[in-house]
Amino acid sequence: MNILESIMIALDSIRSNLFRSALTTLGIVIGIAAVIAVVAIGQGGQATVMGEMEKIGSNLFAVYTDWRSDQPRTGDEFALKDMEAIKEQIPEIKYISPSAYAYSQVRGGKNVKSVQVVGVSADYAPMRNLNMKEGRFFNGADEQGRRRLAAIDEGLAQELFLKKSAIGEQIVIAGTSLTVIGVVKQEGSIFNMGNSQYVYVPIRVWMDIFPWNYISQIEGTTYYQEDVQATTEKVVTFLERRHHGVTYMSQTLDQQMEMVGNITGILTLIIGAVAGISLLVGGIGVMNIMLVSVTERTREIGLRMALGARRKDILTQFLIEAIVLCLIGGIIGMTLGVGGAYLIAKLAKWPPLVSWATMLLAFIFSAGIGILFGMLPANKASRLDPIEALRRD
Amino acid sequence: MIKAENLSKIYRPDTLPVRALDGVTISIKPGEYVAIMGPSGSGKSTFMNLIGCLDKPTSGSYWLDGQEISQVTADELAFIRNKKIGFVFQNFNLLPRMTALRNVELPMLYAGVNKQKRLELAREALGKVGMLDRLDHRPTELSGGQNQRVAIARALVNHPKVLLADEPTGNLDSKTSEEIMNIFTQLHKEDTTIVLVTHEPDIARYSQRIIHFRDGVIEKEELLLSSPTTPEQRGHF
Ligand SMILES: Nc1ncnc2c1ncn2[C@@H]1O[C@H](COP(=O)(O)OP(=O)(O)O)[C@@H](O)[C@H]1O
Ligand SMILES: [Mg+2]
Repeated sequence: MNILESIMIALDSIRSNLFRSALTTLGIVIGIAAVIAVVAIGQGGQATVMGEMEKIGSNLFAVYTDWRSDQPRTGDEFALKDMEAIKEQIPEIKYISPSAYAYSQVRGGKNVKSVQVVGVSADYAPMRNLNMKEGRFFNGADEQGRRRLAAIDEGLAQELFLKKSAIGEQIVIAGTSLTVIGVVKQEGSIFNMGNSQYVYVPIRVWMDIFPWNYISQIEGTTYYQEDVQATTEKVVTFLERRHHGVTYMSQTLDQQMEMVGNITGILTLIIGAVAGISLLVGGIGVMNIMLVSVTERTREIGLRMALGARRKDILTQFLIEAIVLCLIGGIIGMTLGVGGAYLIAKLAKWPPLVSWATMLLAFIFSAGIGILFGMLPANKASRLDPIEALRRD
Repeated sequence: MIKAENLSKIYRPDTLPVRALDGVTISIKPGEYVAIMGPSGSGKSTFMNLIGCLDKPTSGSYWLDGQEISQVTADELAFIRNKKIGFVFQNFNLLPRMTALRNVELPMLYAGVNKQKRLELAREALGKVGMLDRLDHRPTELSGGQNQRVAIARALVNHPKVLLADEPTGNLDSKTSEEIMNIFTQLHKEDTTIVLVTHEPDIARYSQRIIHFRDGVIEKEELLLSSPTTPEQRGHF
């Protein structure tokens, strides 16, 4: 008897107990659906995070002082001359900029807001892929000339100047008046749901406004991604040679992406494993109903044996029935899982990622559960004594 | 065709031994039509199960078609049941979910016959028992006599050496029983070896030889010189 015929027999028997079969497979359906959905959502989320980071630029690195060490901050861990020297000495570097943060009130129009005022060089905009909604970012000449200019985030521009264009308007930070020359477009991002409130000012101007404050880190990018790690180390060594006794630390976006990848991977694995347990429960349900089926069909088994079925034939028949039952559950579960993943992903605003590998795995897994939990009932069926079985009613 | 020597069967030998068969020696020639009679519990079914290769004797030997059966494996027994033996049961034992045609296909499924050939042969066998107009009926849609005809078609379809019928008319009224017996007579005319168990003397009379069982042993044998089958009776189907 070939496999196809066994499958037909299995489908026949499943159809004749349709309601019961449907209830039995429910466990498998839910299990597979849950696993597929969790994995798809997890992978989608991970891909989204990665994509966002990629957008920022995977060549990005940051160097900062070791904030865990006891060394007192002197304020001259990062000097503007360092930037120029680094750019001159390390040719792999494409962009480099200090990033100095100060939280301050900003007055503009009739409004006042507390925001981060970031002191950066002209390199910062191309380095971070900042896009302008209006106007422009300040350039090298603006920076060298200590021109009192600022670029502000879209959201902030709206809050300060309402519907009016911010370009050409004055803002006042800590008593210093600056002219807005650019409005930075805020891309919808999962890191920043459109409410960041940054004011970018030339680093020299920033140092004038906040003389007591200091540059806490520098950021840069390399031309090629494969250089990031080595270049970052070079920058650290270079700085440590120039500033004796200071320990610097660095972080590349690559490393961060790896971390994010690990964390989401582990999360997906854990939730997936929990969902997987429901699959086991589903498998036990299948085993249970198959045992019932063997008992109910004892006469049929006896008859088939009398007509020439070998033990192997009976074993295969029931095993295939269990596998088919699980596969049907698996396929329905996959459909529901993919549907669920799309639904949830739509709500979470990231693309669901249903890979063929996941589908294939789910398929193999449901078949595996069929084999695992079908083995016992099938074995029981194949070991029946034909005479005893025929006598049963 | 069938040769049994000192065949014994003890059920539950360890706990509550039942000596169902106690040294039965029988020889049945090819093409012979034998009836086995005896009171209930005399070991008729036990004997049928042994010669049908559904069970193994506790002691004694048994040859079917020249092959000693006590030596063969379970898979070989299945093969012998499939190819050499056709069973007809008192309660028909048709699979209720399947049509007549599919029920008759069953033995060929285990003989590895392809679908097309199966359909062809099943149709042919059902035609032989006059059931061509009921191919797609399920057992519940057929009368007892019709079900037994389907079961006979199923027993015949692999062209067995022996047809074993354990009380085939036990669930049928006398008129239907007669129809079924006429089919058997016809099959016998076509050289089928038949062993028939019954406790009705009228039914046993269709055979050529009656073997009487009592308490697991052969009590007596009766050779019937003239069969009551007449051409008119054969005309029934
Ligand atoms: N599986 C079994 N286990 C125990 N005793 C059995 C079994 N099958 C039959 N017997 C006993 O063996 C004897 C012969 O039974 P059986 O061959 O069925 O008789 P018959 O078919 O002539 O009525 C009876 O006493 C019956 O109770
Ligand atoms: Mg009996």
